Amino acid sequence: MANFVQLVILGLLAGGIYVAVGVGFGLVWGVLNIVNLAHGALVIIGGYITWQLFTALHLDPFLTLPVDAVALFVLGYALQRGVINRIIRAPLLFTFLLTFGLNLVLVNILLLIFGSDFRSVTPAYAGKGFEFGSIVIPYVPLISLGAAILLSAGLAFLLNRTRIGLAINAIAADRDAAQLVGIDLRHAYAVTYGLGAACAGVAGGLIALIQAITPTAGEPYTLQAFVVVILGGLGRVSATVVGGLAFGLVEVFAQSIPGSGSVFANAIAFGLLVLVLVTRPQGLMGRLR
Amino acid sequence: MSAVAATPQLELRGVTKRFGGVAAVDGVNFEVAKGDIVGIIGPNGAGKTTLLNCISGIHHLDSGDIRWEGASIAGMAPHRIANLGIGRTFQIVKPFGSMTARENVAIGALFGSAHMRRGMKQAFALADEVLELVGLKAKADQPVSALTIPDRKRLEVARAVATRPQLLLLDEVMAGLNNVEIDEALEMVRSVHATGVTVLLIEHVMRVIVGVCRRAIVLDSGRVLAEGEPEVVLRDERVIEAYLGERYAKRLKSS
Amino acid sequence: MIATAASNRRRQRIFLIAGAILAAYALLAPLTSLDAAQSANVPLLADKFWFQIATNIAMFIVMATAWNIIGGITGYAAFGNVAFFGIGAYTTGMLIAKAKWPFLLALPLAPVVAAAFAALVGLPLLRLRGHYFAVASLGVGVAVGELVQNIDYAGQPVFGGASGLFLPIFRIDNRGLFFFYLMSAAAALSIAVTWWMLRSRLGYGLIAIRENEEAASVLGVNTTAYKVAAFALAAALTGLAGGIFSQWNVFVNQDNVFPITYNIQMILMALLGGTGTVFGPATGAVLLYLLIQFLGGTLPISFDLPFVSSDARPIVAQVILGLLLVVVVIFVPRGVIDFFGGRTRLSVAYLRRSLRETSL
Repeated sequence: MANFVQLVILGLLAGGIYVAVGVGFGLVWGVLNIVNLAHGALVIIGGYITWQLFTALHLDPFLTLPVDAVALFVLGYALQRGVINRIIRAPLLFTFLLTFGLNLVLVNILLLIFGSDFRSVTPAYAGKGFEFGSIVIPYVPLISLGAAILLSAGLAFLLNRTRIGLAINAIAADRDAAQLVGIDLRHAYAVTYGLGAACAGVAGGLIALIQAITPTAGEPYTLQAFVVVILGGLGRVSATVVGGLAFGLVEVFAQSIPGSGSVFANAIAFGLLVLVLVTRPQGLMGRLR
Repeated sequence: MSAVAATPQLELRGVTKRFGGVAAVDGVNFEVAKGDIVGIIGPNGAGKTTLLNCISGIHHLDSGDIRWEGASIAGMAPHRIANLGIGRTFQIVKPFGSMTARENVAIGALFGSAHMRRGMKQAFALADEVLELVGLKAKADQPVSALTIPDRKRLEVARAVATRPQLLLLDEVMAGLNNVEIDEALEMVRSVHATGVTVLLIEHVMRVIVGVCRRAIVLDSGRVLAEGEPEVVLRDERVIEAYLGERYAKRLKSS
Repeated sequence: MIATAASNRRRQRIFLIAGAILAAYALLAPLTSLDAAQSANVPLLADKFWFQIATNIAMFIVMATAWNIIGGITGYAAFGNVAFFGIGAYTTGMLIAKAKWPFLLALPLAPVVAAAFAALVGLPLLRLRGHYFAVASLGVGVAVGELVQNIDYAGQPVFGGASGLFLPIFRIDNRGLFFFYLMSAAAALSIAVTWWMLRSRLGYGLIAIRENEEAASVLGVNTTAYKVAAFALAAALTGLAGGIFSQWNVFVNQDNVFPITYNIQMILMALLGGTGTVFGPATGAVLLYLLIQFLGGTLPISFDLPFVSSDARPIVAQVILGLLLVVVVIFVPRGVIDFFGGRTRLSVAYLRRSLRETSL
């Protein structure tokens, strides 16, 4: 029983990362109709910013998260405005290939700058945690989960309570109608992608705390973000939060089965994806679109 | 309804289709005899297109049954229903954009009714015949993108006719056409009917129903409101009310 | 053949001529290295290294052309076709290495197993559309490689595990030439299959599905069966290439037969050459493969990139490849094949029109 409780706790904590990775991806997909294959690259750029600030300036890694967000927002805004906006009306194959191309460019630029060495961020409190009898709640994943929830809440607030958020919602509902009521599509698209990138950056900062990173370490997170968004249901931040936590639980429980281990992470993610798509295409929380 | 000795070609029994909680088609019953030409009319949102989608297998029924020559076709995939000899058009035309008009029609001829399967050569020969029938012969080798709206509607009909259907379902092929074009389209429907095809057509334009149909079925809120000869049905008070609203119906009656 | 007639016929003639020249070279080049030719002072047209490159090109021609069947003709953006390559390679590899089958007996099973797998996963996957299909198929590509490498039975890896499979060397005179011919035959087969398809009931049905699946179904096209057939056919051809590769390369592991980059490369090749056409993907394969190798500095004809050390060279090559991908997708959405045979002329106006059609 204690073991089960421990697994649930670890699963939910692991889910924090997936929530953070999923919300930005889901925003870009839901609003811009782009499955952003560069998401993993954006994530890992956030990771490197946190690592750089931590090693060079000895900043607490959690304090670097706003920096990740701002830097990635600027990068994302520029990418959408300068590049992705140019193919937004093309068939999906093209947006796929374009974002893959961007991923290739970004990852290899990181390789040129940082090389392929593993980098890790280990503050003094890493590896420690609360202990309640046999149950342990590690600090870093706990704060990460809090940060991820805060990020999602902030994003939800922005989308539902601010002017630009309403514009983004309008675009998601009907692009052409949004343009008719005077929304500057190019700007709003770029802001949306920027916000997605900012979320990715925060996710990257969190990831740098739980694993050693390399420039290619972000790539698995693209597929996982996709699964998280499908799992929760496309279109709402809250659904993605549920999807992320559910994915964390599935992962932790799957890995606790003896003999399976972590080597099947992608196979598990993919199996779950197909299962959900075939049986419940609207996701756990979603309505049919 | 008088009892018909032979099995009707198409028979709908209590056909119901819901979306969410709303019944778009609600317990519809009617029969279509072989060789007949029947019109379904009704105001916007009456469930006409949904009904057609049920017959052609795009929607699964929530309850009821659809019988084709006595055997149930409910739950069959659209291609199997097409293979049985039921062809249809879409109100919003769905041409194969990268192909020429001729190739579009040839797809219908290549697939379509199972017992009429033919090779590539015969399929293109049939496509040419059908294009002539609908008056698109001169534009056979043009890409779809070069066709006007009325021509695209003709193409839609041609493609369905090329499947060699025994029953043709036409979904508002006259919508958006002007008077001259409607006359041409009517002529086209008559000539298709003359080749021995049963026709079930959905229309919004009353003139079409009166001009070509032997029988009309009025649909409102997913139910059959009236059924009979077009002239009689269109004078039915309930029909006028459904179409024009109560106030107009009263005014019409008093005048 | 679906496309507008006259310019197309001219384009086809150009490709047939180019194909004939390539075929003639393929047949004649090795002969120049024979003793008789040497003593008659015929200039040497080929060496081992060029044959390796040519075999690789033929391999990518198969993959790009096969992808075109599901991605270009049927319009389902498959991102996991590398799974079929890997399955083909592992099928032949296992039969040779573990069951001691002779290569020529083991090879035909590669396409069979790959096609059977495609039909199996295709039934659920091909019900998905758009992004969902694309990512789900990407997932297949990733997951199959992972499973093959990590599946254990009674503590022993079933498929050779992380260390991979080693095959005995296939004993034949002039081995490089043999595999070049074999791979070229696979490439020719895949092109012939595409050529036949575009003239057949199957091809017309698939294009109808691409253009409007609902309309195709009410016209009597069995969409599920046709899509699965296209997927399985693409898988069979890709699996065949994988099977040939495993014996040619003698060593098979997750990295060399399930690389995710192949997924993107085969799509980019098809796109560069022109999707939905017979010769487009093959053209794209030749161009892109040579370009990638040229940038990577692995061709005998090469140049030094300014300011780039030799260590960083492969990385910079990837950056350039990524930028190229971006540029091609933005500016040449219909493929460079458009420029051959007078259909469209490469001009600033063309590039601007492409841009305007897709931009916001």
